[in-house]
Amino acid sequence: MEQGKELIFEARSLTKHFGPTVALNGVDFKVYRGEITGLIGENGSGKSTITSIAAGMQPATGGEMFFKGKPHKPSTMIEGAAAGIGMIVQEQGTVSGITVAQNIFLGNEGKFAKAGIVSKKKMNQEAKKALDAIGFKGIDPSMMIDALNMQDRKLVEIAKVVYNNPEMLVVDETTTALSQSGREIIYGIMKKMRDDHKAVVFISHDLEELMETCDTLTVLRDGNLITTLSKEQMNEEDIKRYMVGREMTGDYYRSDYDTPVSDEVVLKAENITTGTGMLMNFDMVLHKGEILGIGGLSHCGMHELGRALFGEEKLLCGAVTDVRTGDKISSPRCALLHGYGYVSKNRDQEALVLTESIQDNILAAGYDKIQKGPFLLPKDCKAYVNKQKEALSIKCASITQDVQYLSGGNKQKVVFGKWVGRDCDILILDCPTRGVDIGVKAAMYQLIYKMKKEGKSIVMISEELPELIGMSDRLLILKDGELAGEFMRSRDLNENMIIDVMI
Amino acid sequence: MDKKTKKIDAKLIGNLAPYIGLVLVIIIFSITTKGALLSVTNLQSLSSQVIVTALVTIGAVFVFGAGYFDMSLGGCICFAAVVGGQAAIATGNIFLAAVVILLVALVFGLIKGIFAATVNVPFFIFTIVLGSVISAVVLVMLGSESTIYLKDAVKEIPSLSFSQMSAVNIIFLAVFFIICVILFNYTSLGVRIKNMGGNIISAKQSGIDTRKTTISAFLVSAVGVAIAAFVILLRTRTVGGTTASTVGNDVMVALVLGGMPLSGGPKSKISAGLLGAATITVLNSGLTIMGLSTGQIQICRGVVFIVVVLVSSLSYRGKLLPR
Repeated sequence: MEQGKELIFEARSLTKHFGPTVALNGVDFKVYRGEITGLIGENGSGKSTITSIAAGMQPATGGEMFFKGKPHKPSTMIEGAAAGIGMIVQEQGTVSGITVAQNIFLGNEGKFAKAGIVSKKKMNQEAKKALDAIGFKGIDPSMMIDALNMQDRKLVEIAKVVYNNPEMLVVDETTTALSQSGREIIYGIMKKMRDDHKAVVFISHDLEELMETCDTLTVLRDGNLITTLSKEQMNEEDIKRYMVGREMTGDYYRSDYDTPVSDEVVLKAENITTGTGMLMNFDMVLHKGEILGIGGLSHCGMHELGRALFGEEKLLCGAVTDVRTGDKISSPRCALLHGYGYVSKNRDQEALVLTESIQDNILAAGYDKIQKGPFLLPKDCKAYVNKQKEALSIKCASITQDVQYLSGGNKQKVVFGKWVGRDCDILILDCPTRGVDIGVKAAMYQLIYKMKKEGKSIVMISEELPELIGMSDRLLILKDGELAGEFMRSRDLNENMIIDVMI
Repeated sequence: MDKKTKKIDAKLIGNLAPYIGLVLVIIIFSITTKGALLSVTNLQSLSSQVIVTALVTIGAVFVFGAGYFDMSLGGCICFAAVVGGQAAIATGNIFLAAVVILLVALVFGLIKGIFAATVNVPFFIFTIVLGSVISAVVLVMLGSESTIYLKDAVKEIPSLSFSQMSAVNIIFLAVFFIICVILFNYTSLGVRIKNMGGNIISAKQSGIDTRKTTISAFLVSAVGVAIAAFVILLRTRTVGGTTASTVGNDVMVALVLGGMPLSGGPKSKISAGLLGAATITVLNSGLTIMGLSTGQIQICRGVVFIVVVLVSSLSYRGKLLPR
């Protein structure tokens, strides 16, 4: 587009069809050296499709690609990597049962071999260099990978990709799995790549992160390239509008600050210690009509807390009590009968039956609401599920459609539908907006706020500080299974104050 | 619009496949047996076989649907029929025998249900063991006799004519089928079973009482087993250690031929029990009429089973990866 910039990668009318679905519709996409190019768009807009084609994970249906001026058509990821495209993906990419060093040099062991015998010592030394190169200290490369937590495994993967010295690095929604310190490492790598006159393609759902990091930002919607913005043109409102294709009205988060919260306690956890040892002697209360945010680093015990509140987690001591009835919450069934709802962090594994229809998924938690005596009539089921479909505007061909064909955001709406339909008084949401695009996010925030105003109590566990700050009446920060800080809703609350107690 | 019709077409074909399979099997064997398959005498024997397999398979939809693999069904029928037969011979009262059979079957159902719901051991292993233990117990109970005969009863038990027997068969099957359809499609049991079979973690997190659901499923299946055992006793008037020995395996093949995955879940349906039972029975009968030995029939059934599993898993994989 401008002169003086050197093109490194170019896609010309790149097209990709998955059966009848058009994932990419003739997209022209350019990446320049010395730049971090951001890619943003709603779920299913085609961001990951472009980069995975460039990296050789899957072939395109049509169009051409050029890398460093030459036609580029990798048929495997190995060819893609050999050409100089490295990719860090969202999912876990390490192999368990082997050491850190073996993971880094997986498929490349030959480098350290003499007469067919691999020198572990040399490999470990080289692995140490690779880890140091990205500033990831304090890890012994001869350790088994399984001893590391998710974040550290991710960093090992990053070290592996960076070690191969790619000329174009793709970072595909990696940061959502990382804490602040891990993110800093990634940002550092991206900046270094840029300064070395290489290129970075950065995919993220986090608009602020993108605006801060990227030099140009390309917006995709429904497989079409909508626009490309330079740093000066980036503006949150505009980007959101481009992504969604319509004007975003109203507030993103809630805007009230001084609404008092009732003193009535509806739920309390006393002295709870979980079987996994992630929570130690933890106490908390939840008030009527309160949005209680819970945050912390991964492994702080916040997810276990959510499960414990719903009776899902085995407690070694202590108890979760429903204050209105005085009953102990001992199982999910018991929680459900007391008007509790739970949205799991692991949506596809724990909250949905993927091969099942939207209708039967929603009915799983709500059938007792429409039973007539022992009978459950198909007409009532349809009406009940259609009501949730309308209320949450779930995009689907029909409610008999399998949930697996829905996009991430719509799947999450189905999970919400299970509980909203029941009219739960207490909702425990574990990362409710994870992997969900901005339009759906906004809708969910509005829904959560609406439920609060109806007097329902909500526990919102999240890894994203902005949404915790934006939505919570009160915010609990956990660290190593204990309470590290408590913040009340205020205009002055900012991320740094929270990060201070988190780490 | 195009996209939509395509999806519906695929679904329709998937739903029709079991019917097409049944018709194909009937046509193929009518030709290979030169019409003997559809002769009056064979149709008579076919109908009574279909009914036994169908009763057990329809009940099994509940158990397999919830994700439990029950390999003890044949043993349970045999045990119930033998105990019922002994009761009938000792008292001369066929109604008492029916009550005994029902009780025995329900006790087995309850044991399996409680075990499945509470003990954390792969359930199919338990049922394999249970099946062989039951067969052994039956042999012990029979002692020196390998079979017992209703004609030895202290009071004469009237035998039914073919048409009377057919009427009994049809009434039992129809009533059981209708009750199962109501339970599965018009009460919450079906929803709960499909969710459990599809994803037990999600089912639990949705607040489904999985223990109650599991035990209910096994009890429904037990009723099917009881009726099948009673029908066998009534028709053959003789039971022994080998009674219903092949039914256990037929049930699994029947479920698959009926269009339901053995892993259960959302695609479970009552019609699979009826259709599958019809297909497998026609298959067995056709192969027998063609003069194949028991061993050869076993091989053919095995091949059909593998092919159906392969084909259904292929289409399943396609569906699993939409993008």
